[in-house]
Amino acid sequence: MKMRGIIKAALKEQRKILSESEAKRLLRALKVPVAPYGVVKEAEEACKVAQRLGYPVVLKVISPDITHKTEAGGVCIDIADEEALKRAWMEMVLRVAHKRPGARIEGFIVEKMIKKGVEVIIGAIRDEQFGPVVMFGTGGIAVELFRDVSYRLAPASLETAQEMIREPRGFVLLNGYRGAPPCDTKGLAHTVVKVSELLCNLDELEAVEINPLMVYEHGVMAVDAKATLS
Amino acid sequence: MEEKRIPEFFFNPSSVAVVGASANPAKLSHIIMKSIEEAGFRGSVYPVNPAHQEVLGRRCYPSLDTMEEGVDVAIFALPAEKVVEELQKGASNISGAIVISGGFSETGPRGRRLEEELLSAAKDKGVRIVGPNCMGIYDTVSGLDTLFIPYDRVDRPPAGRIAILSQSGSFALTAMDVLAREGIGVSRMVSYGNKIDVDEADCLDFLRDDENTDAIVMYIEGIDDGRRFVESARRCKKNLFAIKVGRREAGKRATTLHTGSIAGRYELYRAAFREAAITELSGFEEFIDACRAIHRFRPAGGNRVMIITDGGGMGVSVADMCVDEGLVLPELPEDVAEGLGKILPPYFTISNPLDLTGNATDEWYLTTLAKTMTHRSYDAAIVVLLWGPPGLTDALPSKICELSKRVGKPFLICSPGGRFTERMSAIFETLGVPVFSTPEGAVRAASIIAREGG
Repeated sequence: MKMRGIIKAALKEQRKILSESEAKRLLRALKVPVAPYGVVKEAEEACKVAQRLGYPVVLKVISPDITHKTEAGGVCIDIADEEALKRAWMEMVLRVAHKRPGARIEGFIVEKMIKKGVEVIIGAIRDEQFGPVVMFGTGGIAVELFRDVSYRLAPASLETAQEMIREPRGFVLLNGYRGAPPCDTKGLAHTVVKVSELLCNLDELEAVEINPLMVYEHGVMAVDAKATLS
Repeated sequence: MEEKRIPEFFFNPSSVAVVGASANPAKLSHIIMKSIEEAGFRGSVYPVNPAHQEVLGRRCYPSLDTMEEGVDVAIFALPAEKVVEELQKGASNISGAIVISGGFSETGPRGRRLEEELLSAAKDKGVRIVGPNCMGIYDTVSGLDTLFIPYDRVDRPPAGRIAILSQSGSFALTAMDVLAREGIGVSRMVSYGNKIDVDEADCLDFLRDDENTDAIVMYIEGIDDGRRFVESARRCKKNLFAIKVGRREAGKRATTLHTGSIAGRYELYRAAFREAAITELSGFEEFIDACRAIHRFRPAGGNRVMIITDGGGMGVSVADMCVDEGLVLPELPEDVAEGLGKILPPYFTISNPLDLTGNATDEWYLTTLAKTMTHRSYDAAIVVLLWGPPGLTDALPSKICELSKRVGKPFLICSPGGRFTERMSAIFETLGVPVFSTPEGAVRAASIIAREGG
């Protein structure tokens, strides 16, 4: 099984934190759409990948020492062309070295800059008393600021997932706010179900999180993913 | 998951021993002996204490192992260090132990070690434990009362259909004292303190088939095995309520992800309560209100409320509170509104809340209640009855009660006011119908019986 393979590889290297690309492979195995990307080591290679994906692109650092990439200066979005990409590359190397001295840089992710949707977070954790629990919340920063989230014990049924999605106040954003078409809440609910099942099926997994997941009128797409092992 | 055997002997013991029973009336162990007597326990009671020949006129045994016959439950009121020793000696003579004594894990590392010894001794000998550091059991079915608080200090509630499960003894006891004053009955109360063995899940497993219990109200600080609790609660098809205290406790998970840092413990408890169909109560007041509502009213069929009043302002304020509590206030169905329009003065606004104004009469109340509440649009009525209008007489209470019975839906009477109002409320009370002296209390009760039914 693909997912076990990913986890085994990390355990073999005695890693507790999966890389972004590993976490995204877990999602792909669950058939959750992921923004197209390539993993590269050299700037030249980055340009080739960007060419293939099509501009604009996003550049992200890969480092086992960095979990929150944005804070470490390891994310650059909306890169318009090859020249800008090369510049972003140089700047990022310097910035990360400055903000996180000693962090190992193993490479970079070049990712297609996908179109804006409604940002949500889906996470699952293993709780010492309640076992696997799934969380849903709306809107990037609002999640941390207002804790506008809902929880259920995992696994969640499709019906439960649909309930969860409606609970946060931010649901209005998904439901056709200010004349926008309503989002694909059914596709979103299916994704919540899949994430909720993940921890129930993989005992070594301690937590997993998609943040953000873009929700569109039709379909969803994961932009960033994290996973940790116990 | 393997289901533990339900320790039924705690709920229907035919004999109990009080280990450490003292002849000194000031000692807790002595008060426990007296409580057992006062509660009218019908089984045999054996004091156990090497220092006495007899306690309260009963023959006293030097230790559990010197008794000729075994007992179902031994109540331990001894210093913590002595509990383990006595339990080990007498284990073959008992099925269950209620360890009232404190001085265990709640006091620190030394107490924790004692508690571990206690648990392993009990497991070894196959003895089930309630406690330690608890009040034990108050049970109107078996007549057992292990509370070390005298009857002249804290009243005990009469027999009833509500079971109380509580980690805290003082919370449960205070609640029972208030319930007793109002004549609200209790079937069984278990205070399990440190709950090293018997916990809320075990009690739920017993109570789900207990024909003496209709509703279970829980006071929860923390649950060790959340999954097992949810499963037991799900299997228990009775009305479940819980108050969770210690809500600000943070999650203890070591994780770098947002999901981990956002999730406090309380949020997960709420998710679990929802999963287990447990109605959450916010605090002591709601705890009492819930017991009151369960005791006095049948569950409403749903959450649709009709408000009738003779005080417009009070009616609107009750309406606001209803909406905040998630109750709905359907407008009057056309035919009902039309019918009422013919009876009431033409300048009236027929709506919900319905204001009968200062011209209100007994007749108006009865007609409007009858016409609206016989309709399938409503599940319960809140009658905000203000006694100012001279058209209202002391004949109204009995007529409202009669109507409520005939319609078969709960009417919640809310009458804030002074001396005259209190006299009128007393008439309702003698008819067995409670009167809420605040709008908040009435709305909360409505919300509780609505959640029960829905």
